[in-house]
Amino acid sequence: MTGQPAPTVSGIGLVPNGRYSIPDRDLALGVIREAVAEAGIDLSAIDGLYMPSPRPWTPQGFFSTYLHRLLGLETRRSIEVATGGTSGGHAFHAAVENVRSGAVEAALVLALERHSLIETTGPYFDYVATLFDREFETPIGLTIPGVYAQSLRRYLFEYGIEREDVAEIVVKNRRNARANPNALFDEAVTRREVLSSRPIADPIRLYECPAPCDGAAAVVITDGPSDGAAEPPVSVAGIGAHHAASHLLMSHRNEPTELPAIAESASRAVADAGVGVDAIDVFEPYTPFPHIEAIFAEELGLVGRGEGVDACLDGTTAPDGAHPISPSGGCLGRGHPPMVTPLLNHVEAVKQLRGTASTQVDGAEYAMTTAEHGHVNGVTATVFTTEAPA
Amino acid sequence: MTSYTEPFWSALEEGRFLIHGCDGCEEAFFPPSPICPHCHSTDVRWEEASGEGRIHTYTRQHTTAADFEDGIVVGVVELAEGPRLLAGIDARYEALSIDDPVDLEVRRYDQAFDRGRLADSPFYVATVRSE
Repeated sequence: MTGQPAPTVSGIGLVPNGRYSIPDRDLALGVIREAVAEAGIDLSAIDGLYMPSPRPWTPQGFFSTYLHRLLGLETRRSIEVATGGTSGGHAFHAAVENVRSGAVEAALVLALERHSLIETTGPYFDYVATLFDREFETPIGLTIPGVYAQSLRRYLFEYGIEREDVAEIVVKNRRNARANPNALFDEAVTRREVLSSRPIADPIRLYECPAPCDGAAAVVITDGPSDGAAEPPVSVAGIGAHHAASHLLMSHRNEPTELPAIAESASRAVADAGVGVDAIDVFEPYTPFPHIEAIFAEELGLVGRGEGVDACLDGTTAPDGAHPISPSGGCLGRGHPPMVTPLLNHVEAVKQLRGTASTQVDGAEYAMTTAEHGHVNGVTATVFTTEAPA
Repeated sequence: MTSYTEPFWSALEEGRFLIHGCDGCEEAFFPPSPICPHCHSTDVRWEEASGEGRIHTYTRQHTTAADFEDGIVVGVVELAEGPRLLAGIDARYEALSIDDPVDLEVRRYDQAFDRGRLADSPFYVATVRSE
């Protein structure tokens, strides 16, 4: 339509979410080899490298530069992003924009997470404490589930939602994850098991928190379909991002139950793709707690305010429903390596459009993914399609 | 140079809770900053808040970082003047409800967390006011 190169996902690679004792290097090299091989290109064709900046406790520092030597790679763009959970989303968007502009012809987007190397209640919580306002909030001692617990409580209060019903979103996502060979969990849970799991931050229970784990994924984006690709091409049709005027739970403008960065980023992404939200056949969002999935559906306008939990109860968001959300299991079913989850969402969207997803949505032609950070303060949204660009 | 927020901590030692008002848009805001987050005016001034507010939402966090007691009760307090802030709540979790009236009280800081230059400054908690 514009004569720009059309960013196309030509190859994907990932390791199952879990716990790995091998070096970061080996996780990265494994998924890179897989993605490049699937794309049917030579490694030397890669001229852009994009990745979330590895977390502060990752043993290997200066990672993207380290990889250039290790792989004998020369690139025209090399970017590490450090915006928490959206890092992978922004890294991917930078790759898409560089391919569109012609600055790069074959982009490699990489992500890795080494959550198993850090003790949760020790150095990890110390790190989380620094995310809050250092002077006025850090001294209080809150952690991330304590933030989401407060939006859940307010959500229940504002809309008169039954607390027990929220657990059904976990039940759905754990059920969806059962068929996914790359998920951390392969067993379903009942509503009763969710509600009787250990309390973390009232009213949130353990099974309502995304389980931290290690992971790695890579995606190769080429400027149009790659002739030698092993799988059919999937186009990146639209990207959109937004950061609200908020920091974790605090906003001068919005209620904790409103997540405007989802609506804004998604509307930009579908507009960029030249479609409406109603064209999206399947959603693979970054929604780490069950009520956030409910609010996600509301922010997109799939259902009205306060109806997001009902959308799960009545099957609207089930894999065979009108608006399937997280047929892969999402953060709650797959486990959650935060630096990698954005790319895992992309991988699942691509599989849906290839027709090879573990829980396939019949005839899916458009898929949307998101990534978020903080308390959904910033969001990236991406639309993928089977349609060849006009 | 001193920190921009120094007047807040000095006033807190005297039992006064300071926020900011903006002459550009008449909105009050917290935390204090030389730029109004509502209209971006720099015509801002210190204002004393009543310390009265209501609980907008709250939680009890069962597991915390090593520097903090487990089971802390924390909430978002909406001040009578409008701004919202996070605060520890000195109350039994089971006794709390959304919209409960609270007062901000000045307290000696009693967690192990190192507040750096503010290590010896008091902090504040919300306590439930009986109506």
